[in-house]
Amino acid sequence: MKYLPHALLAAAALGVASPALATGKMSCNAGPQKSWKSQAALKASLAKQGWQVRKSKIDGGCYEVYGTDPKGNRVEAYFHPVTFEKLLVSRRGQVLYRKPVAQEMRPARVP
Amino acid sequence: MPSALRSILNAKPFLWALLAIPAALIVSGYLSGDALPGDYLHETGEWSARLIIFALMLTPLSMLLRGRSWVAWLLRRRRAFGVAAFSYALLHLIFYVLDMETLRNILAEIGALSIWTGWAALLLMLPLALTSNEASVRALKAGWKRLQRLAYPAALLTLAHWVFVHDNLVPALVSFAPLALLEGWRVARSLRRGSSRGHRSAPI
Repeated sequence: MKYLPHALLAAAALGVASPALATGKMSCNAGPQKSWKSQAALKASLAKQGWQVRKSKIDGGCYEVYGTDPKGNRVEAYFHPVTFEKLLVSRRGQVLYRKPVAQEMRPARVP
Repeated sequence: MPSALRSILNAKPFLWALLAIPAALIVSGYLSGDALPGDYLHETGEWSARLIIFALMLTPLSMLLRGRSWVAWLLRRRRAFGVAAFSYALLHLIFYVLDMETLRNILAEIGALSIWTGWAALLLMLPLALTSNEASVRALKAGWKRLQRLAYPAALLTLAHWVFVHDNLVPALVSFAPLALLEGWRVARSLRRGSSRGHRSAPI
């Protein structure tokens, strides 16, 4: 019982210090960024397929896109930055699509 | 401490102003920059969760650290932390609605586990915030405390909302760990007391 305040402090410190780095939802080993295609090209290609992209960024070496998929779902999606292959689509944490595991990607959810 | 400073620190509006600072920074950041409303979802939600965790921690903390004046000081202001938790949840909702743009979009995902848990937490907090005033305390009498216990299911729903919306257990659990530890201690203590009392009152 006398260690409880210490445990509390440690837990609180951990909570404050936990960094908001890569989300770890997906990782792409896509090689050097020089060989990647541009985010603008991805947006253009997605727009042609019926997506509405509001925002894109790099996460885990993949392109992560926020927007509306062709079915009208508000989603967050990951694409390979070289092939533009669709890797993961989720809606508010609920996985709608996950590419079957292959060599160049792995589900990086290992804690 | 000079008494003028002390009376400022002890004034309730001082704490309210302190609790409003993050909201002011978030809103001014949103209005002046080119960030999307969705960019503020995490921050506002996290403030709400941390405040509800903090408000709930005060009761077991005051049992653990009996007689500490700073705990008593915080405990007297617990309602302010609860109302702040609700206010940040409302700000979170405003950014969510701005992000979703249409009612149709909102309804389309309301059945998702990560989303309905958030709505439910907010709905549970609404009567708590509305009755967080002296008039309600007097009017509801003993019922006020019973009503305010809805904060516990609201906190659990908040935890579920956080876990499922990120599809990631760790950050949410880490944030809730201090409260869980304190509540665990409180339960263990009351069980121990209960059993020792039972022992004493047993017929010889």
